[in-house]
Amino acid sequence: MASTLPPKPTPEHSTATAGGMAEVGHARPRGLMRWLLTTNHKEIGSLYLIFSLSMFFIGGIFALVVRAELFQPGLQLVQPEFFNQMTTMHGLIMVFGAIMPAFVGLANWMVPLQIGAPDMALPRLNNFSFWLLPVAFALLLSTLLMPGGGPNFGWTFYAPLSTTYAPPSTTFFILSLHIAGISSILGAINIIATILNLRAPGMRMMDMPLFVWTWLITAFLLIAVMPVLAGVITMMLMDINFGTSFFNAAGGGDPVLFQHLFWFFGHPEVYIMILPAFGIVSAIIPTFSRKRLFGYASMVYATAAIAILSFLVWAHHMFVVGLPLVAELFFMYTTMLIAVPTGVKVFNWVATMFRGSISFEPPMLFALAFVVQFTVGGFSGLMLAISPADFQYHDTYFVVAHFHYVLVPGALFAILAGAYYWLPKWTGHYPHLRLSQWHFWLSVIGVNLTFFPMHFSGLAGMPRRIPDYALQFADFNVASSLGAFLFGASQLLFVLVIIKCVRGGEKAPAKAWEGAEDLEWSVPSPAPLHTFETPPDFHPHRH
Amino acid sequence: MWQAIKSVLAAFLGVQKDARRREDFASNRPGTFIAAGLLMGVVFVVLVALVAVLAAR
Amino acid sequence: MRTSLVWMAGGLTSAALTPTALASGWNMPVGVTALSRDIYSLHMIIFWICVIIGVIVFGAMFYSLFRYRHSRGAKAATFHEHTSVEVIWTAIPLLILVGMAVPATATLKNMYDTSEADLDIMVTGQQWRWRYEYLGEEVAFTSNLGTPREQISGTDEKGEHYLLEVDEPLVLPVGQKVRLLLTSDDVIHSWWVPDLAVKQDAIPGFVNENWVRIEEPGIYRGQCAELCGKDHAFMPVVVEAVEQERFEEWLAERKEAAAQEAQGVDREWGMDELMERGEQVYGSVCASCHQPDGQGNPPAFPALAGNQQMLDDRDWHVDTVVNGVSGAAMPAFRSTLNPVEIAAVVTFERNAWGNESGDSVQPSEIAELLEKDE
Repeated sequence: MASTLPPKPTPEHSTATAGGMAEVGHARPRGLMRWLLTTNHKEIGSLYLIFSLSMFFIGGIFALVVRAELFQPGLQLVQPEFFNQMTTMHGLIMVFGAIMPAFVGLANWMVPLQIGAPDMALPRLNNFSFWLLPVAFALLLSTLLMPGGGPNFGWTFYAPLSTTYAPPSTTFFILSLHIAGISSILGAINIIATILNLRAPGMRMMDMPLFVWTWLITAFLLIAVMPVLAGVITMMLMDINFGTSFFNAAGGGDPVLFQHLFWFFGHPEVYIMILPAFGIVSAIIPTFSRKRLFGYASMVYATAAIAILSFLVWAHHMFVVGLPLVAELFFMYTTMLIAVPTGVKVFNWVATMFRGSISFEPPMLFALAFVVQFTVGGFSGLMLAISPADFQYHDTYFVVAHFHYVLVPGALFAILAGAYYWLPKWTGHYPHLRLSQWHFWLSVIGVNLTFFPMHFSGLAGMPRRIPDYALQFADFNVASSLGAFLFGASQLLFVLVIIKCVRGGEKAPAKAWEGAEDLEWSVPSPAPLHTFETPPDFHPHRH
Repeated sequence: MWQAIKSVLAAFLGVQKDARRREDFASNRPGTFIAAGLLMGVVFVVLVALVAVLAAR
Repeated sequence: MRTSLVWMAGGLTSAALTPTALASGWNMPVGVTALSRDIYSLHMIIFWICVIIGVIVFGAMFYSLFRYRHSRGAKAATFHEHTSVEVIWTAIPLLILVGMAVPATATLKNMYDTSEADLDIMVTGQQWRWRYEYLGEEVAFTSNLGTPREQISGTDEKGEHYLLEVDEPLVLPVGQKVRLLLTSDDVIHSWWVPDLAVKQDAIPGFVNENWVRIEEPGIYRGQCAELCGKDHAFMPVVVEAVEQERFEEWLAERKEAAAQEAQGVDREWGMDELMERGEQVYGSVCASCHQPDGQGNPPAFPALAGNQQMLDDRDWHVDTVVNGVSGAAMPAFRSTLNPVEIAAVVTFERNAWGNESGDSVQPSEIAELLEKDE
């Protein structure tokens, strides 16, 4: 160990830290320019989080349009054309605009703090990858105002519905996805460079907090699959504008090829949206159980195993497209295998709580709800893996229930848990306890009221992506719609909590939570603009 | 190499003895482990594919 | 660990013994084929496995949450790994999964065995209707949504089978192995009837296979399951399963009707007849895009009312309906509509909603045109 201890700080370092490097070095731009030009990981992290929160509300409004139309059978509020644009935009905005940027924002804030780095490894690139996002999503949202309307072919944009039969705005949709994809790749490069190069001296890979580990693996997934997405949308672009026939059977192309390429991107993508959530929960549960995470090494292995398996399961989204029997079996087996490492994670969390000393602060409430609700989504995932049964489940509300359980009461709850966990570090104040609890309980009730009945409507035979439905599905849809409005409204409480927390509240010490162990709790709350300009003295756990 | 393969298999299962892992991470040569990981990944895919082919008969 | 294994085994047997555990309408239908029952039991077995694992995991979790509360003065233990426990909880799920994969594989192989069919049906998806062709029987027809628009917009009360009714159902004989060959003329559709446990994508340029052997006569309803554009919600599937003799009678009737329609091609049709027939065809085939009032939905679906190009150039109008517009949403109707229907609908479009061309198209002209092209 002695050989890897940090070098003694040089005199140069000490003078720089004395007054904060930036203030001494040059005048900081103020107002809008400060945010446009910032290269500080904390400011960029905040930008990501604010951006993601606004996208969450925009995507949420689209979802509420959908739920309002589905409140009763018949067409009441919107026409099918617009309904399809709403389901599509809801999916695209939530996946690419809300969940992913939220995780990148958390990574920006917390990865340098958790590994004892002064900033991200590539701060200017960091600025660029953030500011690409508002451009991409402004472009995407503007398609709604174009003649023929915005994308209306579902967030999976299957060809040829998204090529030959698509509205004219599709080219803009492709461009905006390209820009968002570049942003993701640049962000991922930055995160990998930071984690591999800027760890505090003495911190080995197996000493890193799990949030860092999960993000490292996620970043590799992003770099591996985002180019595939870029490729497939470029092929669409060519089919639409330059007369090629990649996905047009009449010209010798293959519509199923689109699905293979899309899901080769899409399946790792869904793990991109859940692995960092595992990391957040793996930080919160030990903190509020006042006990070290059970099976740290197996958590790391399980994350890697899930990531690798995610490249081998893509065609389970395509069980009814007419795959050969052997392919059907292969993808069924690999998909079932994913349940094993995922199960290991859940068992480890439970074992962490076992014989701990547990308290129920707001971050813990959300993390516990995550464990239960994500597991429910995992169970329906296991059911969907059974290929013969999938012939009945496929493209029904059962699938909608499944992926929403993984993404909303799953990933989103983990993001909320992370926000509550780190708000004291960001703002220097604890979030208002009563309001947080109200937010939690209303969210739990709303989200389950929305998505649980979808299991039943799907099994009873309701296809997804329909603006109108047969009468036997009416009761389930009433419940889902009421739940959706409750859930949507209760998120306003979250905004209130954040505003109150920024403006004041109970002061938080550096170590805001009694059981918290990682490096971020060694810097003051709120974290000053510049931290760890001198590498911290890191003492690893005996992992 | 054999040692690396054993460690990769242990990682597939998600379980490893503490002492062994300490030893693995003490070596400063990730190349062997990456090679073993890729190799075992291919072996895994071939194995599952083989099972699928046999089951489909 | 041993007790939980026994518990699991007990759960599995009880799942097998009580196949209708949940009330109907909340669960997957058991269905009316041997395969649908197999799939249903796979569904219930995996469901109960999940329930049992859930009870154990959530039980342990809530026990810990309750028993080891900080507020009760619980002191945290310091253990953080246990190799044999970890091996056990990796191995047991693995074994359960292998146990699950065996029956699933058997069922899947059965589903893929489309050999030795008694009857072949070609199913073609079109935006937004299904076309059925009884191969080798010279019988083919399209099946459109039967629910009136007034029920959808809410001006009329919704009927019992709202959105799950068609003008002409697919008629199949019970007890026969029917092979379905699925394809599409435009985008990807998916033909699904829950009671038959058949869901298969219909993909343009490709032909998929599936099969069904229905055991009980009855009417089975389903829907298109793959997003296929605007009226995805409005292209139901209805299958009427009848006894073999009844099926043969029905087939003979259809052949007779087709022969009569073919004779109608040669005679001269009056304006009123054409308009009447045309309005009917327009309502079932054209109105979903070009709207009942002919106003269309630009830019994808141009207006027909007052469409000058169409009114000025009758040949172009006929050609567009017969051959479609390549690269756009307008399909070719040469094989889906017969000459009488094409002539009638063109005549209707030229003389409805204030269009006053005054001319008509005779079925014989269309028949001639189609022959010439072949």
